[in-house]
Amino acid sequence: MKNVVLVSASPKINEQSVSQQFLQMAGSKIDTTEFNKTFIDVRKSMTTHNLSEDFETLSKADAIIISFPLYVFCMPGILTRFLVDYYNYFTESGNARNNVKVYAIVNCGFPEPEINLEAVRVIKSFSQHINAAFRFGVLIGGGPMMFAAKDAPFMKKAVQKLSDAFLSIVADINNENFTEMASIKIGVNFPFSRRLYFFMGNRGWISMARKNGLQKKDLYKKPYRLNP
Amino acid sequence: MKALLISDQEYQTKTYQVLNDLTSTFLKQKGFETEMLELGAENLTFCKGCFGCWIKKPGECVINDQMTQINRSYMNSDLVVYLSPIIFGQFSPNIKNTMDRRIPNILPFFETRPDGSTMHPPRYDTYPQQIIIGYGDMVSEEDKQLFIDVTKKHRTNIEVLIYQEAAENIIEETLDKIELGRVGGMI
Repeated sequence: MKNVVLVSASPKINEQSVSQQFLQMAGSKIDTTEFNKTFIDVRKSMTTHNLSEDFETLSKADAIIISFPLYVFCMPGILTRFLVDYYNYFTESGNARNNVKVYAIVNCGFPEPEINLEAVRVIKSFSQHINAAFRFGVLIGGGPMMFAAKDAPFMKKAVQKLSDAFLSIVADINNENFTEMASIKIGVNFPFSRRLYFFMGNRGWISMARKNGLQKKDLYKKPYRLNP
Repeated sequence: MKALLISDQEYQTKTYQVLNDLTSTFLKQKGFETEMLELGAENLTFCKGCFGCWIKKPGECVINDQMTQINRSYMNSDLVVYLSPIIFGQFSPNIKNTMDRRIPNILPFFETRPDGSTMHPPRYDTYPQQIIIGYGDMVSEEDKQLFIDVTKKHRTNIEVLIYQEAAENIIEETLDKIELGRVGGMI
């Protein structure tokens, strides 16, 4: 039975992240009668000092699926640290399988999925460094809003695309093909304009700030500049 | 003129030492008062994605560690130079941490860039010119290109150099061509 390890790398503490929800959605497509399925949460792994155990799990994987949010046009620092430490573990222990397949699921708040491409390329580079085969990425634009509105009728098409993309991962794990495949891009396909998407997003920030007792003008403060 | 030189304690290779010397000498010759920051993993915690810097204490990171001082130094410099090891085609964990935790310096809102892509608008009118110098002794061509794309593809007003042992004069020659001072808001 093949081992599939699903890695969630959202830095958020004590709240369920969008990345984790996408990963669970992907994980739900994996049949446990066919695969051993293990989840790793990078933040928990690092804060509870559970790294050795999780690295051992990773080293026994036949397939690794890594889901994370885009941070400043690339992967979050916490995931960078985790992958560098795993690479060091990998090179020191020599304890890894051949023909491991790696997949990336990257989501961002911006509506266009293409912005995630460089982060996916970093996962590809990591795969090459651990002698694994990078297969493809699932690039998701408008991730937080997509998940929040997933049950709305206008979201049906995007949710179907997500489901198909995750099923493609499962099918590929079982496949003997190791030629890299093209990434899958899933953007926000709202029945309204980009302008309205921005308006709703921007209003959301103001509304959240108001709940913290702030006014709209407070969002524009410039605390760090001594001589503006 | 003030410069901030940020580097990573974990990757102080021979290449790094040469690079650090060349860069700091260059900045001194150009008349910069340079603050040197060598970051270790213990200096900074990770961004936790709480958005407190946008909706609780706008413009300030809510985590109380060295990043407060780094952000203050960053915003009050004319030039910021990062010396970053190239790891999997991007920044090292410590350098990436400082990048993630610079988001207090932009606004949360969405705007469209002239090229049609989305961005967060600037919080301040001007920012320091940024130069990212990537280094490594065994970096593949693919990873070098990725480092350039990660750095430049979605940003303006930023320069990137890749430094390898055989090209010592690249620092002075290339830095000489860059306008070393504060730049306009779009990032």
